[in-house]
Amino acid sequence: MTGLPGDIQTQLSAAAPSGIDYSSTTSPHGVVTAWCGLADSKEILVVGRTLVGLGARLAMISALQPAPPEGDEAEDDESGEAERTAKEVPKTFGGTPLDGKSYEIDYHFVLGGDFLTVIAYVPHGGSIPSLTPLFRAADWPERDMMEEYALVVRDHPDPRRLFLDPAIDGAVLERLIPYSTLVNAASTKALWDKVLAAKGGAS
Amino acid sequence: MTVRPTYTIPVGPLHVALEEPMYFHIDIEGETVRSVDIRAGHVHRGVEYLTTKRSIYQNVVLTERICALCSNSHPETFVMACEQIAGLEIPPRAAYLRVVAAEIKRIASHLFNVGILAHLTGYETLFMHAMQVREIMQDVKETLFGNRMDIAAMCIGGVRYDLDEEMKAYLLSALDKLAPEAEALVKTYRRNGTILRRSKGVGVLAKEQAIASSVVGPVARASGLGYDVRTAAPYAAYDRLKVDVPTLPDGDVWSRAMIRLTEIGASIALIRQCLNDLPDGPVRPADRPDIPAGRAMGKCEAPRGELVYFLKTTGADEPERVKWRVPSFPNWDALTFMLKGAKIADIAIIVNSIDPCVSCTER
Repeated sequence: MTGLPGDIQTQLSAAAPSGIDYSSTTSPHGVVTAWCGLADSKEILVVGRTLVGLGARLAMISALQPAPPEGDEAEDDESGEAERTAKEVPKTFGGTPLDGKSYEIDYHFVLGGDFLTVIAYVPHGGSIPSLTPLFRAADWPERDMMEEYALVVRDHPDPRRLFLDPAIDGAVLERLIPYSTLVNAASTKALWDKVLAAKGGAS
Repeated sequence: MTVRPTYTIPVGPLHVALEEPMYFHIDIEGETVRSVDIRAGHVHRGVEYLTTKRSIYQNVVLTERICALCSNSHPETFVMACEQIAGLEIPPRAAYLRVVAAEIKRIASHLFNVGILAHLTGYETLFMHAMQVREIMQDVKETLFGNRMDIAAMCIGGVRYDLDEEMKAYLLSALDKLAPEAEALVKTYRRNGTILRRSKGVGVLAKEQAIASSVVGPVARASGLGYDVRTAAPYAAYDRLKVDVPTLPDGDVWSRAMIRLTEIGASIALIRQCLNDLPDGPVRPADRPDIPAGRAMGKCEAPRGELVYFLKTTGADEPERVKWRVPSFPNWDALTFMLKGAKIADIAIIVNSIDPCVSCTER
């Protein structure tokens, strides 16, 4: 299989008419790593179809909630916190608010030895179409993503939990889970508290 | 009275043939598997969450603990992503030493898997023999790195170990001891009736199914796909070395075992090339490098195939996100093809043939 075609940027622009933010780097070994942000997350389906045509393999999907970019003027502003936050929330080039709650979903494709990561932004509470009908390999990563975040993948053929038991509350990466809870208090003071409670409270 | 034509049997999550817990919900008709549903999550530990609570340097240590058999590949790929963000190039000597560490781990991992195949066919003598041969590489790891599994060889910008003349001579002598043993194992797996009857034509994954499932590593190469990260996207010193990528067309359990056995010979050749060409110079930068804000992809050929890392940093001590996809992750899906139409008695052999790593998959 060959690597990224020379006109990949043109092909991606044609598939995503709302706009793309494309960049790429080449390693000293000649391996290309390309990034393609989408202005409209719905266009991931058309982009996916284009990549199926190119023989791309979906290697991985990463979801995250990017932190808002730190503005330089924040420290100098003396007009008060409330007024500033009300004024503006930074946005992605496609208009998704970067409020620390929106999702960035990175679809990592491999062509030959090269990487192409297509990035879609979805506001909190939003949804994204499933790529599983196009790429079999999207099945588990999308289920993984749905249990990590309160993110809905539309039209997923089998939206069951992947690793987490259905009894566990979802969106685990959006919550602070104390380590003692995570490991069922197998360490730290919480275990000692449990022992004391079992003995009847007082030490 | 009608007889129900199909039954459902559970295999796992705890099963004598499984090294780690995984639950297979299997529909059978008589002795034949009709369909399989894989249910995961028994060793899910939330390591991805932990990576965002540790500093980037601590994550080099943490990622080594995701898995035991491919423990070196995790920090190797993670530091490659860090180096990409920092724009670092590793010293030439470190590039060769990374190959040495990776290939030592590959030999030990492959010997373990082909040994387990013998165990599952009931050929315990061959299993014990393969494990004894593997012990040569376990001794090598203990001698060179001070540990038999987590070798702590990687750091951002280079490696944490070096080979002096005495160690090089020791490693070469160990390879001289290993090479004839490995060749003898290849002959046994090629000719032995017990192995052939239980593995030839069993658990077939056709090439188009391999492409559909996006399988990687020896599973892909045994189904005729010649993809290997070491040649497709060279890293470390692989662009300066002759890397043999064996492929086989049949896609059965035997082919997957043969690919691993052949790769052991190829890895021995690679380590010898490295020791012969090993350049002088430093093995890591004098100071711990700073990792600025950025995003990067890392990719390497772990023993089970392509391992992918995504890293996003903000310039803070902790990364904003670390995500990885282990080679076993897509390879599980191939089991739905391999097990369809298989006999109940072959389930364990077929599952083992993808060399599954549950700890890696579930993180």
